Amino acid sequence: MPTATYIPLQTITLSSSASSVTFGSIPGSYKSLVLVANYSHTASDVDALVYLRFNGDSSNGSMVGMRGNGSTTASYTQANMFMSYAGGITTTRGNSIIQIEDYSATDKHKTSLVRSDLSNLKTEAIANRWASTSAVTSIALVSSAYSFASGSTFSLYGIAG
Amino acid sequence: MTMQVIQHIELSSASSTIDFTNIPQNFTDLSVALSLRSSSAPSSSAINDGGITFNGSNSNKSGRLLYGQGSAAASATYTDLYIWYPTSLATANTFGNISITIPNYANGNVKSTSHDIVTENNATFSYTMIFAGLWNSTAAITSLQIYANGTTFVAGSSATLYGILKGSDGTTTVS
Repeated sequence: MPTATYIPLQTITLSSSASSVTFGSIPGSYKSLVLVANYSHTASDVDALVYLRFNGDSSNGSMVGMRGNGSTTASYTQANMFMSYAGGITTTRGNSIIQIEDYSATDKHKTSLVRSDLSNLKTEAIANRWASTSAVTSIALVSSAYSFASGSTFSLYGIAG
Repeated sequence: MTMQVIQHIELSSASSTIDFTNIPQNFTDLSVALSLRSSSAPSSSAINDGGITFNGSNSNKSGRLLYGQGSAAASATYTDLYIWYPTSLATANTFGNISITIPNYANGNVKSTSHDIVTENNATFSYTMIFAGLWNSTAAITSLQIYANGTTFVAGSSATLYGILKGSDGTTTVS
């Protein structure tokens, strides 16, 4: 029998809209984490974005990203971490996939790779860094404007090393 | 087991399609891993396009692309769920890799897809691409076809369909 390596940790399907989603009490026994979000927002807004926060920390984050909106490309850096940055948010369903390597290590900063795909707005790739050697025990997705819509799903998986 | 192989198909002879049918409905998400190369070059290029079709439907599909080819980046919109792969003009024995994620494939919402694509080629003409797709249908996905436009996938091209189950470990919370 093969050893299971892709372990479901928790999933939420929103029964009502929510401005943020937080995974907490994340066990430190895996090598990596993968978070899969399939979601829409309650309204569209070209300036809105979704923050990614570890352990409730709104500081100590940075990112470099790139996006294509179907006609132009852009690349950017910010002093914060994001699940979705450029192009805005939409009421059309899209995906974000976040991979966090060595999330429980205490001897390194934490990097995460994000793909955010909103088919009527953009495709985006982001590399985040959390400048902390603390183990990641919680992950929050915070919408800057308008909530995640009811029916949006967020699933967290642990990847065994 | 959370991530399970539903089916693996490796072509023993050239074919213009790779088909998964009767997809079980008991998983949460689907993931598709592709290794593709075409037998000809319809556009006289080292890469060619194709796409994916759900439930035999060729309508209500759209997407946005971002790609780089070593000297420039560009973006485009499409009315299909596109993939790209190396052709017979690419370096011999070289296949492209594609990973497609389809969350909530069996629920009653429209279906969004995320494609990560590399068209391998030991030359100055190869692409890395990311694609945001949408099948604007609330139908559960019961079949999936990967197709080549104007050509066939060579023998040795393969596709693996995975089912991924959500769940709870009893420790991690969510709010």
